[in-house]
Amino acid sequence: MKNLYFILILALFGQVSSANEVNVYTSRHYDSDPGLYQEFTNETGVKVNIISGKGSALLERIKAEGKNSPADIFFTVDAGNLWKVQKENLLQSITSTKVLDSVPVNLKGPDNQWTAIAKRARAIFYNPLMVEETEINNLNYEDLADSKWKNRIVIRSSNNMYNQSLVASLIANLGETQTESWAKKLVSNFARKPQGNDRSQIMAVANGEADIAIANSYYIGIMLSGLAGEEQLNAAKKVKMLFPNQDNRGVHINISGAGILKYAPNVENANLFLEFLLSKKAQKYMVEKSYEYPILKGILPSKEIASFGLDFVEDQISVKKFGELNPNAVRLMDRAGWK
Amino acid sequence: MNRLSYWSSLPLAVLVVFTAPILIVILSLFGGFSENWFHIFDYLIFDYVKSSLILVLGVASIVLAVGTVTAWIVTTYNFPGKRLFEWALILPLAIPPYILAYTFTGLFDPFGDANNLARSLLGMDSNFVLFPNVRNIYGAIIVFGFTLYPYVYLVSRSAFINLSRSMQESARLLGLSQFQVFYKLSLPLIRPAVIGGLMLVVMETLSDFGAVDHFAIQTFTTGIFRTWYGLYDLQTAMQLASLLLLVIVIFYILERSNRGNELYSSSNSTFSPNIEQNLYGINALLAFSLCFIPIFIGFLLPIIELSIWAYEVNLKFFDANFINTFTNTIGLSLVTGLVCAALALLINFSERYKPLFVINRLSSLLSVGYAVPGLILAVGIVQLFVYLDTTVFSSLDVLLTGSLFGLILAYVIKTYALANSSIESGYERISNSLDDSSKILGTVGWSLLRKIHIPLLKTSILTSILLVMSDVIKELPATLILRPFNFETLAVSAYVYASEERMIQAAAPAIAIVMTGLIPIFFLSKMIRSSRPVKNDE
Repeated sequence: MKNLYFILILALFGQVSSANEVNVYTSRHYDSDPGLYQEFTNETGVKVNIISGKGSALLERIKAEGKNSPADIFFTVDAGNLWKVQKENLLQSITSTKVLDSVPVNLKGPDNQWTAIAKRARAIFYNPLMVEETEINNLNYEDLADSKWKNRIVIRSSNNMYNQSLVASLIANLGETQTESWAKKLVSNFARKPQGNDRSQIMAVANGEADIAIANSYYIGIMLSGLAGEEQLNAAKKVKMLFPNQDNRGVHINISGAGILKYAPNVENANLFLEFLLSKKAQKYMVEKSYEYPILKGILPSKEIASFGLDFVEDQISVKKFGELNPNAVRLMDRAGWK
Repeated sequence: MNRLSYWSSLPLAVLVVFTAPILIVILSLFGGFSENWFHIFDYLIFDYVKSSLILVLGVASIVLAVGTVTAWIVTTYNFPGKRLFEWALILPLAIPPYILAYTFTGLFDPFGDANNLARSLLGMDSNFVLFPNVRNIYGAIIVFGFTLYPYVYLVSRSAFINLSRSMQESARLLGLSQFQVFYKLSLPLIRPAVIGGLMLVVMETLSDFGAVDHFAIQTFTTGIFRTWYGLYDLQTAMQLASLLLLVIVIFYILERSNRGNELYSSSNSTFSPNIEQNLYGINALLAFSLCFIPIFIGFLLPIIELSIWAYEVNLKFFDANFINTFTNTIGLSLVTGLVCAALALLINFSERYKPLFVINRLSSLLSVGYAVPGLILAVGIVQLFVYLDTTVFSSLDVLLTGSLFGLILAYVIKTYALANSSIESGYERISNSLDDSSKILGTVGWSLLRKIHIPLLKTSILTSILLVMSDVIKELPATLILRPFNFETLAVSAYVYASEERMIQAAAPAIAIVMTGLIPIFFLSKMIRSSRPVKNDE
């Protein structure tokens, strides 16, 4: 009798898997994503279950759930996050040729275990009133180590994966020694202790707390859209976005990406889901709602983002490098005193 | 004999469940140390220790000064507003530190509301910034200090009330000024009580994640998060967590051993309560200000800022989604409250009914969960459930991992101490002779509990449920990690919005957290009002 009660309680609280669904573990925190999932359900009749949280917490949960994991898709931002899931041997190769054919090779993981869904550039934001045109002509990330930028730069903390991937890309391009000396000088140019997210870096430039910020491209789109409020709209109008390293390797590009988990109970639906994310409709939806750059050719970014230019040079380095070099990047930043 | 073991096995069983997740975390220390561990020791640990230390010292100074001074003022003097201050001084308990931190940045960032107001009042341009940056350790000290001082205020106040008037009068006759009576006589006398309250503050400060994260301060908790989230190294994170746990256990033991030292209260028959001195003019104003400022910083300021945010979105955020989040939160906290109260009742009953020294020692250990940071508990529970899922439950089509069960377990472990303290003190007021009479009349076992104890403990049970609920509603890190699919709570949605600097959207859940947090405060304040010493002047 007692056992029966116990099982009843477990059944009440426990997760019991059901049929036509796809379970998405996501660390993307965009309000617009549920609309995207709804569209998928409308199209295919497959129900989308979401659990959202920090990438590493999700990873730990997937690891913990092991073979019993209900997770089908891991959907996240930053290639570094995807690489870490792959390293734990928790992903399987994507089989959909539709998916594999639409994504360039430098934006896919080893063995096709994950794929980019959208792109973002880690760009430089400046205040035209405070920065001379000559100062930023042909600007490179490397130039930000110059002492003329003393007390003029803001960037978020080294805890942040976007910065870790940026530094990893520099290690890949320049080597560890040169990157470390760059990071040390960059830190000495900080206008304040790293704090807040990318948006608050852009706000700091708009408010005159600093002259230059490094932040992801889509933030300026959200701010310019007016959806984030009057204050951010006004702030966004005061700053300009610039793509560095244009006469050499190009601006650092990172991705939103997804992979199918090794023990996914709904592999077929998971492939369908990825195909959907890379469909014209979903790509259009994402560039309009989350202000990222599309993966599919022929889709234009949102007008807010397009206003900063479309023909810029992108660093073609494979995004999987960011994951490989992530531990080196984190430790390098600690050594450089990047809080 | 069978009965006896039946009652005594309950605390033991609960203890096993409560300590398993914590033990799992500590076991990580025996699992070998990675490269990251040594890296942290070389470059980061010094910062973690330093900022944790500064934080604890700073917060301790503020809560000691504010808590004891305000308690002394409201128990010693009579001045306009005193009746109000007596209970209003605990209002900041309704504001979790992370919400005060969110509102502080909303107010005092260079373009926050307070700086904007200052600019427009003083007619200055946008380069002018009146209030300094709060996103640093000093800001954090103020945030913790002014949300946590009520712990010290509460214990100090009741201790001051219990001090003998004749002792103070003698001191005055011997030539001490009123202020000298405070710091030479009263303060040393209430020291044990104050230290107990202080230890709680220290433990809360060390376990916080939300506020220090928002202010970008490197402490142990943010370090644990970073190691886990940034380096994806749970093993090292758990090892760091074990270090923090060690520090907290030390404070916990200090607190418990202090509780043993009863207050030096006057027990002789000549005890008479203090007669309040009337204050006038500048002195009354001073007393008023000293009591008003902590309430202003810890309660009114965040309420003002939350109201501004609420006004800016025109209350549009109270939509279906919000209602859903709200019911999730209330439902979870109610279940936790009921479970905790039932457990505390049964365990206290078993201790009383069949006292056994070993069991009594064990059940005092049950409260240890209160001191364990939510994050550490969550990590332990995830690991524990995975183990159970892959062994005991592998044949069943149910999963413990990712179920509400884990979340509720974390809450119960974390808040059991609150329920227990309320029910324990309720039991202390029931005389043992009552039990003996009942036994003689044949009311034993269950019926003693049901017919005699529960009716007498009604208020204590209700209080314990409310205390637990208000704590669960605020809980952040464990919820963040353990919540199931498609499931949000108020604290999580406030955190998610705030971490994206979308403060206006964070307002709705934050307001709801504060409002529900006010309910137990209301009951507490009623108790405070009824605990006033008998007045015989005027």
